[in-house]
Amino acid sequence: MSNYQLSLIMLACISIITVCGVFAITSLAGMFSLGQASYMAISAYLTFCIARYQNLPVWVTSIIGLAGCALVAFVIGMPTLRLRRDYLALMTIGFGQMVQSIIILLDKYTNAAIGFSKIPKVNNLVYIILAITVLIVFMVRNLKYSRFGRMCIALKNDDIAARSFGIDVHGLRVKIYVIASLIAGVGGICYGLRNRVISPDAFDWSLSAEMQILLFFGGTNSLTGSVISAACLKVLPEFLKGVKLFGIDLQNCKTIIYCLLIIVVINLRTKGLLGERELSLSFLRGLFAGKPRDREGGEST
Amino acid sequence: MTLQLLISGFSLGAVYALIAVGFAIVFSIFKFSNIAHGGMISACAFIGYFFQSSFEEPPPFIVTALFTTGVGVLMALLIDTIAYRNIRKKQAPGLYYFLMSITVAILIEQILSVFFGKNLHTYAPIFSSTTFSIGGLRFSSIDTLIMVISLAILSALIFVINKTKIGLAIRTVAISPSTSQLMGINSSVVIMAVFAIAGALAGISGVLLGTKFSVYPSLGPSMMTKGFIVSVIGGLGSLGGAIVAAIALGVVEIFLTYWLGSLSTPIVLFGIMLLFLTVRPEGISGRFAKDKV
Repeated sequence: MSNYQLSLIMLACISIITVCGVFAITSLAGMFSLGQASYMAISAYLTFCIARYQNLPVWVTSIIGLAGCALVAFVIGMPTLRLRRDYLALMTIGFGQMVQSIIILLDKYTNAAIGFSKIPKVNNLVYIILAITVLIVFMVRNLKYSRFGRMCIALKNDDIAARSFGIDVHGLRVKIYVIASLIAGVGGICYGLRNRVISPDAFDWSLSAEMQILLFFGGTNSLTGSVISAACLKVLPEFLKGVKLFGIDLQNCKTIIYCLLIIVVINLRTKGLLGERELSLSFLRGLFAGKPRDREGGEST
Repeated sequence: MTLQLLISGFSLGAVYALIAVGFAIVFSIFKFSNIAHGGMISACAFIGYFFQSSFEEPPPFIVTALFTTGVGVLMALLIDTIAYRNIRKKQAPGLYYFLMSITVAILIEQILSVFFGKNLHTYAPIFSSTTFSIGGLRFSSIDTLIMVISLAILSALIFVINKTKIGLAIRTVAISPSTSQLMGINSSVVIMAVFAIAGALAGISGVLLGTKFSVYPSLGPSMMTKGFIVSVIGGLGSLGGAIVAAIALGVVEIFLTYWLGSLSTPIVLFGIMLLFLTVRPEGISGRFAKDKV
């Protein structure tokens, strides 16, 4: 395969990883986080800066990067997640701005807005990223069907009822928030390895919002739906390269196209294309046999 | 020096108050955070700029401001129609309102930056001199004008909310939409009124911000972040708390910028917000918007 195709595959994989992180927090626990891109930035900068200045291999420093991510998520999550869900979204937007400012402030190490480009080259990167993607999707799938995931879904549907069943709501929220940030951190490291340059502008809040849009496009509660929409919608604009409509390059308009698509989808089919269902063999069999199926993952609130 | 910083902080706070109130009024009714408000502010700033520059001789500032306010109202109603009306009809959960507002915010920002984002636009200056002095103190004329306009609009809004019939209806719907419908309040009219008020506020703050700074696509969203901080500190959905918090934030921000520089300021502000949430999560106003009792 040519380098271009390999880089498209990696793009799709990174998109899948980050959307899996959003799936954990939004679809399972029902909270909106607009700071996922900031966690990508934190882990990427920590990993590659320490690797550069301490001369350590990337796989060692990536552990430090992820640990930093988890620590920050814990500090941010502790006070915020005690409150209404809306606070998290608002706080995380402010958090994103703060992370960008810190990166620019530390320009001695991060090279500020120009971007940090001293990222080591990794051979056979596409296989590594593919393996990580499969692992993450598998882990999030297990999360959804585990006891932990069911507790999260209970929390999403009604946190007061969940509390009355003996679920530690605040602790659970902090845990799922840290997990989601870790997954975003993994995405950030992969992003850095693929692009070989990271700049603070790449991680602003519209990237986090784009992840949310990709998630809801595929289906509110459907992991397979979000994975498919994350991969397809991220790669499709590459085929618009050079296509012109009324003299405007459609490649520049890809986000506009996303947004229009999601407005149409939510208006017509509120729960996203796949809604609550998972695209599995038994679902397809049920579809052709015409049998009604139980809903997985509960109603969303 | 201190007094001058205080005054420019006050004027910055007044603009933040306009933004935060437009945000809080939508929150108080629908209980979702209307992120699209920031996009509407940028869009109105652009529309005001193009309106002004379409004349050979720039029209008086008041004409531009009124025109943009009208456009803001229309735009808010349009956004309500394309984004929120259908999910309201389906009685979808709050998550979807939030998603739609994010989508609309990004849509507006992208449209602006793809089509008009290439160069920086500035409004025609209103005053011939940028500063004037009273008793040895120098005041920035644009800051003073912004402060006067913001305070006038905020007092008008408080009057409407507290003394008129539609204001009473808005307060009732904010408490319980279904009960107020039983009491004979046409809640769809109230909802439109709320969006119209929010749109008007977005329009006027777009023009004011465009005159103070310059017009660029991420103008609204970056200001919106301050609006969020204000509404978190003031207590979500509370108008009075938002105004107090906005003025306080404006003053604190000006002083921080003076002492620490503009880069460290967002970091310190975020720290203050995090600390504030830990100590007093219900905000200044103390009215905590609850999901249910």
